[in-house]
Amino acid sequence: MAVCIAVIGKENSPKYVACLHSENELQFHYKVHTALDVVEEKLSLAGKSNCDVRELYLGLLHSTEEHKIFGYVTNTKIKFIVIVEAANTTLRDNEVRTMFRRLHAAYTDVVCNPFYIPGDHIVSKKFENVVKSIMSGNS
Amino acid sequence: MAVWNDGFDFPTELCNKPQALVGISGIDVAKNVSDREVWEALSNNRATNRALINFKLLGPQHGFPPMKPKRNTYDWYIPKGILKRNWIIKHLQELPAVNVLFFHLDWDDPNFAAKKLDCANRLQSIRGALKGRLTRLAVVLIQRTAPVAGEDPSAADKANALCTACELNPKCLFVLPLGDHLQGYILRLEKAFLELAQGYYHHAIRAVKSHRDQLNKTTQQYLMVRHLFKIGFLSELKQDSHNAHKSYAQAYSQLLDLRVADTNAMEVKTVAGLINYKICRILFFQSMPRDAIAQFRAHSEAFKNREGHKDLVFEHYGWLAKQYWVFGDLFDEAIKQGVQAVQTQHPGFYYQQAAQFAIQRKQSCELLCQNVTTYPEPDPLTGVDTLEFFGQRPWRPGSLSVEPIDPNRERDGILALQFREKIGVNHSSLIITLFGIAISQFKAFRCPRMRRQLLVQMAEEYFSAKDYGKALTVLTHMLWDYRSEKWWRLLSAILLRALGCAYLTAGLQDYVTLSLEALGDAAQLSLQDKTRIFQNLNKILKRQLPDPEPGLSNIDLPHAKDLWTASCASADPPFVTVDMSNVASCVESKARFTSTQSHVDKPVLIEVFVKSACPHSIKFSKLLVTVTTPSMSTELPASIMGATEDDPLLFETNTVKVFLCQFIPDHRDVGSEIQITSILLHMGSEGDRNIILRYSCVSNESGGADDVCPELQHFRPTPIKSINFDSIRIQSTTHLVPRTSLLDVSIQHDTPALLGEWYKVHIEMLNNEQYNISSLSLDIALIPSVDDPHQELTTQLCKDVSGELVSLPMQLLIGDLAVNSKKEVCFYVRALRLNTRNLLIKAKYLMLDAALGNNAESWNASDKVVTISVVKPFDVLTKFVSLQLDPLTKGVALEPLIAMPHTECLSPWPIVIHNSSFELAPNVSLVDETFISQLQGLELQKGEMAAEASVLTVSQPSDQPVHVGTYQLQWSRKGQEHMITSSTVTLPTLRVENAPIYVEMVLPAHGWVRTPMAVSYRIHNHTSRLIDVDLSMEASDAFMFAGHKQLQLCLLPESVRTLDYNLYPLLSGLVALPRLCLSLVKEGQLELPPAALAELLQRCLPTHVYVMPQAKGKSSNSQIPVPS
Repeated sequence: MAVCIAVIGKENSPKYVACLHSENELQFHYKVHTALDVVEEKLSLAGKSNCDVRELYLGLLHSTEEHKIFGYVTNTKIKFIVIVEAANTTLRDNEVRTMFRRLHAAYTDVVCNPFYIPGDHIVSKKFENVVKSIMSGNS
Repeated sequence: MAVWNDGFDFPTELCNKPQALVGISGIDVAKNVSDREVWEALSNNRATNRALINFKLLGPQHGFPPMKPKRNTYDWYIPKGILKRNWIIKHLQELPAVNVLFFHLDWDDPNFAAKKLDCANRLQSIRGALKGRLTRLAVVLIQRTAPVAGEDPSAADKANALCTACELNPKCLFVLPLGDHLQGYILRLEKAFLELAQGYYHHAIRAVKSHRDQLNKTTQQYLMVRHLFKIGFLSELKQDSHNAHKSYAQAYSQLLDLRVADTNAMEVKTVAGLINYKICRILFFQSMPRDAIAQFRAHSEAFKNREGHKDLVFEHYGWLAKQYWVFGDLFDEAIKQGVQAVQTQHPGFYYQQAAQFAIQRKQSCELLCQNVTTYPEPDPLTGVDTLEFFGQRPWRPGSLSVEPIDPNRERDGILALQFREKIGVNHSSLIITLFGIAISQFKAFRCPRMRRQLLVQMAEEYFSAKDYGKALTVLTHMLWDYRSEKWWRLLSAILLRALGCAYLTAGLQDYVTLSLEALGDAAQLSLQDKTRIFQNLNKILKRQLPDPEPGLSNIDLPHAKDLWTASCASADPPFVTVDMSNVASCVESKARFTSTQSHVDKPVLIEVFVKSACPHSIKFSKLLVTVTTPSMSTELPASIMGATEDDPLLFETNTVKVFLCQFIPDHRDVGSEIQITSILLHMGSEGDRNIILRYSCVSNESGGADDVCPELQHFRPTPIKSINFDSIRIQSTTHLVPRTSLLDVSIQHDTPALLGEWYKVHIEMLNNEQYNISSLSLDIALIPSVDDPHQELTTQLCKDVSGELVSLPMQLLIGDLAVNSKKEVCFYVRALRLNTRNLLIKAKYLMLDAALGNNAESWNASDKVVTISVVKPFDVLTKFVSLQLDPLTKGVALEPLIAMPHTECLSPWPIVIHNSSFELAPNVSLVDETFISQLQGLELQKGEMAAEASVLTVSQPSDQPVHVGTYQLQWSRKGQEHMITSSTVTLPTLRVENAPIYVEMVLPAHGWVRTPMAVSYRIHNHTSRLIDVDLSMEASDAFMFAGHKQLQLCLLPESVRTLDYNLYPLLSGLVALPRLCLSLVKEGQLELPPAALAELLQRCLPTHVYVMPQAKGKSSNSQIPVPS
């Protein structure tokens, strides 16, 4: 379903980036990186309006001719970015939310690993499997 | 750029907001001054608030565009194209909606009739020139005289006559008086002209509509579009943007229905672009940006895939790029007019897309035009500027056939277009321009990362345009941003590209810097890449040519090689210094002082840690540390710590080595900071080119933007024995402090100090140094206190109690002190307030310093801090009591009272009171003549209390509490009786009231049963009036008495009356005395209530007396005690 999934750290450095098609990896890195502009903007606005802080899902960040980019921010300012092909019109908002929730749960498991140092690049088979299943759409 | 301009640029007449055209004739600007004024008032200052009219000055014999012959039926008319190129210009520039004839004619002109005819003739000739057109005519009479209030009665008749002569509607006749308010008249005229023009356009639209109704949809689709476009444009001229939008939208949808083949694709797209532009523009002006964007989306969606002729695909991309570009411009203009844009929807995206299409255009051009080398003869593109219709091919204008008529001409035409595209268009500059505009938009809309990506793409374009220098500049700037956010994947891609640029431009400095970064851990490059880069770096060191980076165009390589050959041959620069602070390099380095404080007599130690992440072992020739102190800056060589190795500066992959360097600090720098400014790692041996890696240590707090928690780094597994480089904290400064003195300064004092006393501090100095010391002095200063900022005002110092006070800081000169000898000195401190004082005692002396050479002496110092807490020696609580020893809350004037100071000792040391005294206020006096201290010589331990009493009177009553005076105590610590301290305590204030009468009773201390005792009452009158009182003596069971039982007394002013009684006690013990009662004869005589008098008596008179039993066997009539 998704073509690219990324986990971005608190200070906007990438912690994990996976793409369905590895030949376009660089392009997806750029896409994820530029989407952070919108994330930052949304976060700064949310900080001002002081609205519901429990809502982590940021919604559609940006859409281009080919892709739609969705965002999600945890309370510790870890960002999840999911890129979906724009041609995929059957995708509903709820399904995107589900993707993020699963991703968040998987990330929580990674952080709970005592051998993982927060801030490091994520290297975890389990996390990888979750990401792969999200990308293939087997939820 | 030729093709670009011809093919896709929008005609300017289309892009401007259409203005109604009004022709002005009858004005001679060149010769007539007033005419020129009128014309300037009309044509100048066309600000936005004035009517949208374009005035055109027409000569007397102006020819208008000829009218085409009217068709009776459109049935057989087959249009040859969609939109005529000249139609818009015709309506904007040539065919006026209103033609105004200006004519000089006053109502009272003597030749009115002749001029009337002249005017009619002129109008007739204009009418003739406009034959068949719907153009409105109007006449403005320029008059010299302004209209008078009453108005010329003949004017109306004359105007009517003129209208009749000219066959003019009276509503189209205007009068323009020349005079003061020309501009005002002109504005009113303008409005009238605009109304006329709108009427004209209204009719014109109806005319077009009537044509349209006759059209046949199957064969005349082009005409449908054309007519709808015309209606839209005329509506715009009429300033009816609502209908204009409607018509344009209809035209657009008609256009979409057209059949598109390769032959007419260009024409359809061109017209679609024009109409879409008009629609978007109107929507933006109507503040409907969402609709404008939706329209544009639909437009680009509809035409994105209609590429047209496959050999001219670049034309399609050029067209698309232009569409996006122009839409971006429109959007940008709308934002300047007040439309709100957001981060995810702003013109930058359109410019960016335009740039993308421009890139595609370039790519398809490269693909399709690579074999085009000659321009076909004869030029198939002649007449491209004079085509009748928009978007048609010059070699087959007006052709409607779906298949090209002449395949050869068609092929030539395509060849010509391809040739022009290849030779005439500077694609890169277009792309870079578009990126430039987009970048500025993204910056304005807070998209720093998108902007960065565009900059990288821009650099990419510079690269493909072979402007490697610019590409490198842009890329190196971008490296910094991506590095700071740790996007290593992106960084690596940019690094490789930048390295290519640096190679091609033979930029030695950049090449070395980029290589060092590319070899680092962060760069995610293949080992093969890293190996090549490493080898190239080594070649640079040996002044050899580096190998080219892969993927570079072969055309540039020879030139780059020449540049490198020249660079390697030249001795300049002998070394390359690379500032490593902004590079995520393969070699990292940290330096720290071993401690935050260094003593001047000991060497300062610096540890240097160097870590190499280079995939190959890397060798350095030197490691230097630059240290800066206020007096000097030095480079220090560092040596390996621990076991000596053969090659200490050879680093295997992922090793950390520790080096140590030391230096002896200068005495002049004592008290200042020493700083490690930089670490210098030299690469390359003598004679070769050297590369110096310079690591700055100043304010290197890179940990700030890091999201790696330093606390968590300890969990990182590191191989045992290896140093965890990341967890090393930099200590780049150390404070240079003097050597530790061996002078032993010991201080003795009996803390706590008592408030107000001279407190003795005893100092003993013992010279433990190796040499004799001289000029020893002690500086005693108060350390500023946080609680009491003005503590120095309440602290006194002296060297001797009998001597004078010494101001702070105090200096005690001691002199010389031989080895192992001792000296003692003492000083005194007096604290005037209760809080702890910290005294800094600094011993300074000169001593021989072996380090500085023979007979050289240097200053040494040793600091001691003395903490003195201060307590109160005693607390004095004074009570006032009446003569009956009842506590008093208030006193009465001229009545005696007792002041009793209770002194409670609080000092931990016993204190001796030497004397005490009262210092009384002027209106307070002692009853006794002299005061003898009752506390003299008393010794008080902690917690003990001493009290004494003194009888006082206050002479004056007062509303305010009366200041009684002070109580002074002279005291000392026990054992230090020679140092007497005098403390003063203020007695509490007392409220003093007035009483007119005072009664005192003179009574012996005791009486004996059945022995008469004499008492007397003395009644004082303190007033200046006569007081009559009734006196009565109540009987008592305990006494018999002789004297007045009841009496009326007259008290003279300010006098005393004494009444004597003889009491004969009957009972023993503490017995109640007979009660004396007084009452005023005349009630209210003294403004004194009767109760007050009773209270007065109760206060003044004793109630009881001790009566002793009679001694047995003693005669009853012994001596009668007589009151004194």
